[in-house]
Amino acid sequence: MSERDIDPADTAPGDEAAEGEAFAGGIASYAVGLGLAALLTAAAFAIVNLPLVWRPAIPMALVVLAIAQMGVHLVFFLHVSSGPDNTNNALALAFGTLVVLLLIGGSVWILGHLDHAMMR
Amino acid sequence: MLGKLSWSAIPFSQPIPLIAAGGVGLALFAVLGWITVKGHWPYLWKEWITSADHKRIGVMYVLLGLVMLLRGFVDAIMMRTQQASAIGHAQGYLPPEHYDQIFSAHGTIMIFFGAMPVIIGLMNFVVPLQLGVRDVAFPTLNSTSFWLTAAGALLVNMSLVIGEFARTGWLPYAPLSETTYSPGVGVDYYVWAIQISGVGTLMSGINLVTTILKLRAPGMGYLRMPMFCWTALGANMLIVAAFPILTATLAMLTLDRYLGFHFFTNEAGGNMMMFVNLIWAWGHPEVYILILPAFGIFSEIFSTFSSKPLFGYRSMVAATLFIVVVSFTVWLHHFFTMGAGGDVNAAFGIATSIIAVGTGVKIYNWLFTMVGGRLRFPTPMLWSLAFMMTFVIGGMTGVLLAVPPADFMLHNSMFLVAHFHNVINSGVVFGAFAGITYWFPKAFGFRLDEYWGKMAFCLTLAGFLIVFGALYVLGLEGMTRRLQHIDFTEWAPWLYVSVAGIGVMILGVASQIVQIVVSIRNREALRDETGDPWDGRSLEWATSSPPPAFNFAVLPKVHGEEPYWTIKRQAIESQGLADEPPYEAIEMPRNSATGVVTAFFATLIGFSMIWMIWWLAALGFVGAYATFVVFAWRDEEEKEIPAEEVARIDRARRAARSKWLEENREQPA
Repeated sequence: MSERDIDPADTAPGDEAAEGEAFAGGIASYAVGLGLAALLTAAAFAIVNLPLVWRPAIPMALVVLAIAQMGVHLVFFLHVSSGPDNTNNALALAFGTLVVLLLIGGSVWILGHLDHAMMR
Repeated sequence: MLGKLSWSAIPFSQPIPLIAAGGVGLALFAVLGWITVKGHWPYLWKEWITSADHKRIGVMYVLLGLVMLLRGFVDAIMMRTQQASAIGHAQGYLPPEHYDQIFSAHGTIMIFFGAMPVIIGLMNFVVPLQLGVRDVAFPTLNSTSFWLTAAGALLVNMSLVIGEFARTGWLPYAPLSETTYSPGVGVDYYVWAIQISGVGTLMSGINLVTTILKLRAPGMGYLRMPMFCWTALGANMLIVAAFPILTATLAMLTLDRYLGFHFFTNEAGGNMMMFVNLIWAWGHPEVYILILPAFGIFSEIFSTFSSKPLFGYRSMVAATLFIVVVSFTVWLHHFFTMGAGGDVNAAFGIATSIIAVGTGVKIYNWLFTMVGGRLRFPTPMLWSLAFMMTFVIGGMTGVLLAVPPADFMLHNSMFLVAHFHNVINSGVVFGAFAGITYWFPKAFGFRLDEYWGKMAFCLTLAGFLIVFGALYVLGLEGMTRRLQHIDFTEWAPWLYVSVAGIGVMILGVASQIVQIVVSIRNREALRDETGDPWDGRSLEWATSSPPPAFNFAVLPKVHGEEPYWTIKRQAIESQGLADEPPYEAIEMPRNSATGVVTAFFATLIGFSMIWMIWWLAALGFVGAYATFVVFAWRDEEEKEIPAEEVARIDRARRAARSKWLEENREQPA
């Protein structure tokens, strides 16, 4: 809708016209994001292959790195922030996280009990 | 060259599918021939097939859904008659392998290609009009969603003549659906048809969520949206959250079947219970995807025909959002008997009972909407009242099934079959018919015939009660579902009752068809001149019937919960319309063949993957991607409708409204 008034409190993520954000600024933010994402990926390979971390702690370290990776994607590529203009995005993220937690938590719980009941 | 495809794929030895397919093929050729002879192709191509107009796409969705509901109904007739004719020594007329395909196709078609398109079509048509905007957020994506759904429907129907359909039930439980037990192409038809239409549904969900969150008329805050928009928002949030689970689960099954993976197999570490778990983690939200928009339709209808605002609007919004969240915590009630144990069953049983509270709130709100209102009883209101009375029965049997010990007795029985038909039929299907009758004048400019509408209503309701009343009794007498042959002759009377019921339902369906034919023939007498045939309250009734391509000449300014009602009261009190607004040129999205071309290639992909014709599948992928690239490089996105044209169309609408005001001057309401 071309004639729709642009409401600063209600804009889409990455809506550059509405954000009034310079194109170069966008590029810089993506470059930082790319760098961090690559760094986290390299770190994951490094701790598996180099004797930096106590071996039994490696899975937990990978989980931490994976969650950090998701955070980088959300902030730098999907532009989710805690700002007041970001209510929709924050709510969508909260709903998505809730569904994923319910699904994964529920499935683990159900099949764990099933496994126990089958006495395997 | 042609993979597994050969002449043996066509079931020459089975007369029933061949004759059915021959009939359908002849009818199809007759229609296509008629279109060609009459020279309607350019019109169809420009105005419908490539249209990016949400109203046209909505109408096509509903049409596809109604045709597929008929196909699913034919399957239902075959199941009822087979069971009634295969008791004791009699064998009926459907061999087991064919009967299994029929009940699988019935469920698949009714849910994915009947109910879903009708509901999505109604949301597509109504939501932008109610929000007071000109189109959905992504018009070409909308067209692509529709055509992908149609491609899935086409694949399911192809399985009638080329190969076979799944024999696994409407959800292909592993390991039955693995290649060990289902070596044929049936499950592959299911998987590819559902995957292709599932992509369409997911895109449609994203589109409608974005539309509701981002495009609303100036002043329309969230708590000023009509109830139908709220339930549409809830349903589409569920689509976005739940459909990826279905896609991922079926993708894992596909890997098992095509590349020898072991996600859900018996051996090599596979876990078939994980399939049941995941498919229902999608499946339970799915039933709320279907029922929430129907709840919205009933809310609109109860309010309009009670001539009152909806009672408890905010509690209705809260109940909708409550259902959205809680629908993700109940999926285990579909497999209490799997053996996860008492703790798990108790938790999910309690959650299942709690979700009924949200629906209970809605039922009371609808009752209080009617209290003290000036009630009118045209066909949409009759469907809604029938819904309320029969849905409560379905809800009660649902709460009964939510008690795990009771479920152990009733699992997989005809009682369960009766329960879910009771809720889906009287909820979704009655809601769809109510919505179609209610918004038909908005879409086509004339009302549906009331006599035949009431006839269809009475017969359908009676048939429904007889069929599923009998199935409830059969379930309590211990009959299990999906029986091709009945050994226990004591069940015979109730099976005959259900066949009699389906006979009544056939008359109901025939009345619906007669209703449409009669209404088209009498369309001049049934014409809706003003665009507000029901004395409506929300913005879709503010524009003409059918609405112009741009919906509203000037976007309405919203100052309260019922914007159109306010405008109408002001016009009646001042005995004149508001001053003519300054008209401006309007930019609308151009037509695009992207949707239909992508769907063509998607059908190629699906068909060639089913038959393992790899080169054709590659061609399909390249073609679909090329279509997307061509669309991305388009130069002109929009066409302009000049201000004079807008003014001409809107002045005609204003003239009709002024005339109505003039004629109704004597009786100020």
